[in-house]
Formats: sequence, structure tokens, C-alpha cells
Amino acid sequence: MPPFLQFLIRRFLAIPVSLIIITMVLYGGVMLTPPEARATLYYPPRMKPNMTEEQMRRYQETIIKRYHLRDPFLIQYGYWAGTLLDGTWGYSPSMNEQILPALLKRTPVTLELAMYSLLFLVPLGLVSGVIAGWKRSGRFDRGFRGLAFLGTSTPSFIMALVMLSVFYINLNWFAPGRISMNYGFEISEETFRHTTGMLTIDSLLNGRTDIFVDAWRHLAMPIITLSLYHWSTLARIARSSMLEETGKEYILSARARGLSERRVVWHHAFRNMLTPSLTSIALSATSIITGVFVAEIIFDFNGVSSVILSAMAGVPDAPAALGFAVYSVLMVLILMFFLDVLQAILDPRVREGVLKT
Amino acid sequence: MKRIRLFFSHWQNCVSFLLILIFVATAVAAPYLSPDDPENPGAFLRVGKATKGEPQPPSEKAVLGMLPFGFDVFHALVWGSRDALLFGLIVTISTAVFGVLYGAISGLAGNRLGSFMIRIADSFLAFPPIAGMVFLQQLLATTIVAMGGIYWSHPKFGQIIEVQGPMTLIQSLLEHINPLMLSLIVLSWMPYARLVHAIVLTLKQTEFIQASRALGGSSAWIIRKHILRNSTGPAMVLAARDVGGVVLLQATLTFIGIGGDSIWGSMLGQARNWVIGPGGSLLRYWWVVLPPTLAVMLFGIAWNIFGDGLSDLFDPRAL
Repeated sequence: MPPFLQFLIRRFLAIPVSLIIITMVLYGGVMLTPPEARATLYYPPRMKPNMTEEQMRRYQETIIKRYHLRDPFLIQYGYWAGTLLDGTWGYSPSMNEQILPALLKRTPVTLELAMYSLLFLVPLGLVSGVIAGWKRSGRFDRGFRGLAFLGTSTPSFIMALVMLSVFYINLNWFAPGRISMNYGFEISEETFRHTTGMLTIDSLLNGRTDIFVDAWRHLAMPIITLSLYHWSTLARIARSSMLEETGKEYILSARARGLSERRVVWHHAFRNMLTPSLTSIALSATSIITGVFVAEIIFDFNGVSSVILSAMAGVPDAPAALGFAVYSVLMVLILMFFLDVLQAILDPRVREGVLKT
Repeated sequence: MKRIRLFFSHWQNCVSFLLILIFVATAVAAPYLSPDDPENPGAFLRVGKATKGEPQPPSEKAVLGMLPFGFDVFHALVWGSRDALLFGLIVTISTAVFGVLYGAISGLAGNRLGSFMIRIADSFLAFPPIAGMVFLQQLLATTIVAMGGIYWSHPKFGQIIEVQGPMTLIQSLLEHINPLMLSLIVLSWMPYARLVHAIVLTLKQTEFIQASRALGGSSAWIIRKHILRNSTGPAMVLAARDVGGVVLLQATLTFIGIGGDSIWGSMLGQARNWVIGPGGSLLRYWWVVLPPTLAVMLFGIAWNIFGDGLSDLFDPRAL
């Protein structure tokens, strides 16, 4: 088997292992609550309204019996993990929906935002870090350091506040929300086919460039807000690992052989600084996902994070919160997987299995 | 001494240290700087008319102006710094202590158990704090409801728990838990553990640890005498940066309205509609935006630079 395929399989199998550990920890948290509270995880979609207290207690007792809620941890965990596999993940009273379908329905919105941000920030971060690190203290480097400092120290919500005030209220270039109102009606009609759920792609598939432009008007602000912070952390690491590479002997020897400066940077130094940079961004995958949720809420995007908004809104909704936790862990694990694969594709040492990561 | 002089030889470090001192002083002197209303204590002091929705500009009654509905900006700013500092320090110190101990134990625990413990820590890295916070808050809420209480959360006043009859011990304990604080403690110890684990693995090979072991030192002794002393430096660097990061996250979550109880975040959240709502303006209502923004940003910047300065300090190449 080629080493790259081996790496892919081994890396992919790590996802369920991590997921099992995390869900066990999550259920361990649930175990701290009394059994009556745990029973709410299994309430069916339509509870009979106006149950008397006596009926309610009896009903809770049957659920506790059925799902073995007074048994030891592993048995309970087993029953609960079983319900994860049935494709509903329980029922959320605050959304009045099954949880997994509700999450999946909103996934394309979140995915669109996350995907474009990553496509934007990863190349930009790497390239700007390399250029800044190559000519240390040059004009580009000084400007870069100022911007990166601003990026790391501006909280996303303040950035969002300023951007909304400037680009939405004053200039009206961009807008919050996902789509303008007049297009909103159009895309909910039957003639508009939703193939992927992502508006920027669907609009092109339907041949509507005006909707495409409008979708980008709404995507621009969250993407910039989200990218700035992570761009600056990534680029700072790229810059410092570039600084480390420039002093090494293979660079000297490449120059001595008379290679052009551009070739030395992009063919020699660049490949070696990729590993630390991409590792660092894989480690910050949780903060990227958190950032996506925050940007969604601030810019009123109505993606996956609307599940937590409705869970926090009033009625206690433990099933939705638990489902959301499992779902976001899964999202982070998949993101980490893709970043590791990207690293393996770009770094020959990882690809050939020389360097174990 | 040499290291301390080195630390203060960079002007950035001096500025960050000064800023931190200012925040600490404000936090300590909050009751003198802006006395509380004895009848209605709390960070939000009403000095203007409760019916007036529009934020009022700075005047004699309120030095830095008022938030919507007549709350004093200066008072919230001062008390917010006490709140932020406490929150940041509690979270960071508890995570650092737990993470360092976990890393030390996993490093000494031998090959198989040690790598299993690190495997668990790595799994925690996949858990976004925002999800952990919502999860803990909902657990708390369902527990209280299952025990016969009423739970709801308010955008400004945070979580509110009502119980009929006398509160049991557990219920009153649950009332004082801040879900965000708890979830941040549970979800951000991994970097410390990984760091100390790596340090221990290299230290294990060194001669002084082997000598200590040969002389009959127990694991507890080795952890206390050698490993903790050698890992406090790097752990402190991480911790200093975390204080800022944790407070920024708290403010962010409060601003978007899902808890956290940050006062600075809540100030911005209350002013939000006057800035980005219909007819809002950043320049016209600058006093509701600028003070909390500056406070949050300077807090983050100060701790970040302080951490960078510490990291140069503990770098053996620096001397």
C-alpha cells in the first residue's frame, strides 16, 4: 500500500476514536445530573399537554426504566450512543424539531462561510508570512507586523461592530443576513433549485448572477471578520518559522548554486515552513469553528448556531445542547482531518511517511 | 535581576506592565473610584431616567455618559475591570494548575499510560468552548428544573434561578456556577498538559532526574522538586496570554447574547442597536462604544505583550 493511502486511512480512523472519547466525557457530564433531568434527553416529539404531576412522574419513571438511567455509566452510555446512531439525536422542545435533521438542514450555510474563510485565509496567511519573514524589517514586514498585531488584538465582535457601522449603515456596500429580502422570496420559490444549499453555488447553477452578487454582498463581512484574526495568527507563525528557515544551510547552498531568489523562497524554504504553520492552524481548529458560530450569530446568518440560540432562549433544552456539542466536535474533527491531509499533500516528508505526525 | 532588567529594557513590555498595573489598581480601588449604590449594588448603576432609551452624552451626572436607560458608563467600566480581571485570573490559574499536574503525571506515568493520557488531552482539543458552555448551561438548567425550580436567562442580568420554598444546598451551589467559567476551565488545560508532557519527556533523560531517582526520590518528590520548577516558566507564558484571550472570549459571548456575564461585553451589547440599528451611528454615540472597546482591547493587548515579554525572558538564548 502506498504510504500516502496508509496515512489517510490511519488518520481517518482517528476520528471515531476521538469522537468516542469526547462523547464519553460529554455523557460523563450528563451523569452528574439527577436521573429525572437525564430523562428529558429522551422525551418524544409530542408530549401530551397538561399532564398532572403524578402522570409526569410516572412517565419519567418509564423512560428511566427503558433507557436504564439508574444503571452504571457504561450501560447508560451505550443506550445513549445507540440513540445517536438512529439518525434523530432526540427531539428539541425549543425548536420543535428532531435535532440531527435540524442541524443538517442548516449545515450548508455554515459550511459555505467556513469554506470561503479558510480558502481565503490559509493561502493569504502563508504567502504574507513568507514574504514578511524573507525580508525581515523591510517595508512589507513592518506593515505586515502592524496589521497582524491589529488582527490578533481586535476581538471579532468589535471588528464586526465597526464593519457594520461603516460598510452597512454608512456606505451600504455589504449587508448582514444571508440574502436581501427581494431575493429571499425568489429563492424560496420552487423554480429555484437548491442543489448544494450554498447560495453562491446554487445561484450560478440556476444562472442567476444577480443572486450570486447579492450572496457575496452578505458573505463579505463575516468572511473578513473571521479571517482577520486567524489570518494574523497563522501569518505570524509562518513568519517566525520562515525566519528560522532563512538561517539554515540548505538555503545558503541553494543560493551558492546560483538559484534565483524566487526559486529559493518558494521551492526550498516554503516547503519546510509549511509543517509548523499548518500544524498550528490544525490545533486552532476549535477556535476557527467557534469563530464561525460567533460570526454567524453577529451577522444574523441563521446557520447551525441558531440551534444554540433557540436552546438558550428560554425553555431548558438539554437534548439540543448535547446534540450541538456532538455535532460541533464532529465538525472540528473533520476540519482537522482535512488540514492534516492538506499538510500531507504539500509536505513530501509527511506524504512519503518519513516524518510521522 | 538580570532577567528583570532585560524584561524592562523593551518599551513594549513596560507599556504592557503599566497597563496591567492600571487594570489591577482599578479593580482593587473600584469601590473608591465609583461607589456602589447601597440599595441596588451591581455593575450597572442607574444615574439617569430609566425611561430614556437614547444614550445620554457625558455630563456632570455621568462623566463618560450613559448607556441606554440611564446606566452610568464609567461605573460599569470600573467594575467591569474588576470582573474581567477576576474571571481571567480564576480561569487561567485553575487551568494552568490542572494542566501542569496532568502533564507532569502523564509524562512520568510510563509509556503506554502516558500516551493514552495525552491521547485524551488531544481529544479535548476538538471541543469548541462555545459548545461546551451551552452544554453546561443547559445541564444546569435541566437539573434545576428537575429539582423543582425555575430557570431562565436574561441578556443583561445573566442566569436567574427561582426556587419555591427554601433552597437546598445543591441548588444554591448551582446558582453560583458560571457555566462559561467552568467550561473554559474544563476545555483549556490541554496546551499546558501537552507542554509539560513534552518537557518531562526530555527532562526524564537528564542526569539530575536520574540521579534523584537513584537516590530514592519518589515520583511526587520529583514532580515537586524538579519538574514543576522547570516547567513554571513556559507555563507562565501560556497563562499570561490566556488571561487576555479568556476575557476576550467572555466579552464576545456576552455580546452575542449567549451568557458569560461579561460587563464590558454587556455594555457593548446594550449599546449595539444605537450603533448599528436603523438610524444608528458610531460617531454620534461614541461614548457607549469607545470606553468598553478600549478597555477590552487594551486588556487583551496588555496580557498578550506581557506573555511575549515573558517568553523572551524564559528563552535560554536571551541571556
